[in-house]
Amino acid sequence: MIGSPTSAARRPGDAAAPYPAPGGATPLPPRPLLEVSGLAVHFPIRQGLFFSRQTGTIRAVDGVSFTIDRGETLGLVGESGCGKSTTVRALVRLLRPTAGSIRFDGVELTRLEGDALRELRRRFQMIFQDPYSSLDPRLTVEAIVAEPLEAHGVGTARERAARVAELLDAVGLPPAVAERYPHEFSGGQRQRIGVARALALQPELVAADEPVSALDVSIQAQIVNLLKQLQQRFHLTYLFVAHDLAVVRHMSDRVAVMYLGRIVELARAEELYRAPLHPYTVALLSAAPVPDPLIEARRRRIILSGEVPSPAAPPPGCRFHTRCWLRERLGRPEACETVDPAVRSVLDGHLVACHFAEQVGASAEQRRATGGGNEDAGWTDGGIGQTKGEAENPRSRGGRD
Amino acid sequence: MALLALEDLTVRFRTRGGTVHAVNGVSFDLEAGETLGLVGESGCGKTATGLAMLRLLPRPAGRVEGGRVVFAGRDLLSLSEAEMRDLRGREIAMVFQDPMTSLNPVLTIGTQLIETLVAHRQLRGAAARGRAIELLEIVGIPQAARSLRRYPHQFSGGMRQRVMIAIALALAPRLLIADEPTTALDVTIQAQVLELIEELTRESGTAVILITHDLGVVAGRTQRICVMYAGFVVETATTRQLFAAPRHPYTVGLLHSIPRPQATGIGELIPIEGAPPEQLTAPSGCPFAPRCAWRIAACWVDNPALVPLTRDGTVAGEVVNTGPQATHRLACHNPASAEEARAGRPLRPGFEAAPPPTDILAVQPAGSAA
Ligand SMILES: Nc1ncnc2c1ncn2[C@@H]1O[C@H](COP(=O)(O)OP(=O)(O)OP(=O)(O)O)[C@@H](O)[C@H]1O
Ligand SMILES: Nc1ncnc2c1ncn2[C@@H]1O[C@H](COP(=O)(O)OP(=O)(O)O)[C@@H](O)[C@H]1O
Ligand code: SF4
Ligand code: SF4
Ligand SMILES: [Mg+2]
Ligand SMILES: [Mg+2]
Repeated sequence: MIGSPTSAARRPGDAAAPYPAPGGATPLPPRPLLEVSGLAVHFPIRQGLFFSRQTGTIRAVDGVSFTIDRGETLGLVGESGCGKSTTVRALVRLLRPTAGSIRFDGVELTRLEGDALRELRRRFQMIFQDPYSSLDPRLTVEAIVAEPLEAHGVGTARERAARVAELLDAVGLPPAVAERYPHEFSGGQRQRIGVARALALQPELVAADEPVSALDVSIQAQIVNLLKQLQQRFHLTYLFVAHDLAVVRHMSDRVAVMYLGRIVELARAEELYRAPLHPYTVALLSAAPVPDPLIEARRRRIILSGEVPSPAAPPPGCRFHTRCWLRERLGRPEACETVDPAVRSVLDGHLVACHFAEQVGASAEQRRATGGGNEDAGWTDGGIGQTKGEAENPRSRGGRD
Repeated sequence: MALLALEDLTVRFRTRGGTVHAVNGVSFDLEAGETLGLVGESGCGKTATGLAMLRLLPRPAGRVEGGRVVFAGRDLLSLSEAEMRDLRGREIAMVFQDPMTSLNPVLTIGTQLIETLVAHRQLRGAAARGRAIELLEIVGIPQAARSLRRYPHQFSGGMRQRVMIAIALALAPRLLIADEPTTALDVTIQAQVLELIEELTRESGTAVILITHDLGVVAGRTQRICVMYAGFVVETATTRQLFAAPRHPYTVGLLHSIPRPQATGIGELIPIEGAPPEQLTAPSGCPFAPRCAWRIAACWVDNPALVPLTRDGTVAGEVVNTGPQATHRLACHNPASAEEARAGRPLRPGFEAAPPPTDILAVQPAGSAA
């Protein structure tokens, strides 16, 4: 079984561990490949051109903890600006964290510098969202894919060329593309080139920041399948970031939901989608379109009012309280505005940061968002073409009341 | 008579690389108040179709090469530029994927909204301003009065899209063309924006053409769908019929490419291999043939026409163009059966996609695998 994120908390001497240790379960699971604890990345807001002074702080990532086991995929979802990319960039040390600990295979990354960091960095690589801007337009595909090999002085020129051919084959590109330039390729092909480059040094962990968000659904599916297949073949561990819940569901063993610099819920994928416990997760799920007109006609969405508040001034108490439907439902309990809810383990390994998570489990909203319950049933494994009859098409846009 | 009738619309772009056959004889009708989804991968001609209707194709590259666009009884392609300008915004409005390209960055939101109202509605001064504030309130812009003085870049993507919708719906047009209005937005904001379009157009009885590459987006938001590939409509039906009984291999491929957020039953994704063609020549056979698992020998040499379909595969009775009884039409020599559509691949024992004729094989570019 893939270890729960609480496993980090069970080791003695790890006082900063943010999660309560669960009872029972005595044998220590193998150490996770990546352990992140209390990670924070703050950006100063400066004003004035010459005598610039700091006038505020953007809390892009503000106390994030999770672990990833070897061979596992952890999905990270959340709306634009919630800190997903910043988390990833801090992990691969493109950014220096403000606080917190990142252990890769037991080694504390945040304090690593110079050659030691370079050496370790071979073992974790990154894939970027934008296949258009992440590849140097002046380099051939061969030079792009070989670049990390050269940077780390791996092999002779001939060995590198052979390795590039191998990598291109692994990502499903014909050898002839090696001599061509990025602009000659479609978005999907460029993303394949990016994947080949990320795999050049045989990394153990690959952090993919929205690798399919810029692609058409048809091409998205190609890349999702490719990433899964490469994971099997090269025993990769993934951190997979996306804002599309359905894509994350397809890729991940466990899923973390981020809101305003924090993880608000983390659970095994089936669990999170079947029984989400944070009001924000429920809202996200209910907003995701379902490719089935019959289900859509029956669903009722939770439309979150307003937009995500600025991370420069996160709301006091629970950060989600300005948009929370459950808080409204409960008659605006004071705790939501005054007490920052801690991450707690509700069921075994299901983590949630909400004072009233228990109420979510009993709500009609949760049932509707996930399709559970009878009155809104239908969100089952209904595949294509299983929605028989009813071809007479009532005005389907009038599905909600 | 339908509100809108596209008849054999053909659009070409002249580029340095050659002539792009962007839209190749697209026809469909739309009734007042109806919602139609125009779906297909990027490059398949959705935007070009929308722009051609409004006569907004980029010049000099883009040209309508043939066909008619009949809107409320008038052929738009033969109107004068002045008549067309008057009609745009007032009768037909368009919302684009990236609102920044259609909002003027140096003018405040207020100026742009009020301009529209003054130009078309003979509203002046305080009355125009009042209506502008009202419109921003309708689309949910907080502090509407103050927002009038702000510039487009001072809004987030979702808010800009709302402003676009406010401008587009300011004049209660009879037709709204929404081109990927939410593709760049988060699901939560996407839901807000689509809900808003739905609500406002329902109130005013505005017909909507919703353009997207994601069949998931149109499932709950449209009544009918046209699936486009390489500038052709390859399948069209009511939304329910299309999802319940897709027949075209491309539609089936799109449906199996969409990951589902369901708690159970996440099947494997079955992607459509390869990429759309560049359309620098008219296809000699079915344009989807190089990527199609169902193709037979005829597919390489004969591009099938879009023809009506009934349950048993034969045409029967009257053909209906619009509304809930619209006839399911298909352009395919070897459609997927119901079981195959569900499985996402051909199931006939021993069936293999017909290999390309040897002369076509010779000119297949090396990198044609996506
Ligand atoms: N270098 C920086 N300087 C200042 N602020 C930054 C910087 N990088 C990110 N931020 C801010 O930090 C917050 C989190 O940004 P981040 O890019 O991590 O979000 P994200 O979740 O990846 O969003 P998206 O879905 O848009 O990619 C945002 O408010 C962003 O504006
Ligand atoms: N301004 C242009 N110049 C040249 N070719 C264009 C232009 N706009 C679109 N095209 C081409 O026309 C075809 C259809 O494009 P478009 O209508 O934008 O597709 P979609 O909206 O479905 O993504 C594509 O092959 C595209 O490359
Ligand atoms: S703590 Fe209160 S405001 Fe926060 S998510 Fe829970 S119910 Fe909503
Ligand atoms: S079966 Fe033939 S005609 Fe039908 S989509 Fe495939 S290639 Fe085209
Ligand atoms: Mg990001
Ligand atoms: Mg387009």
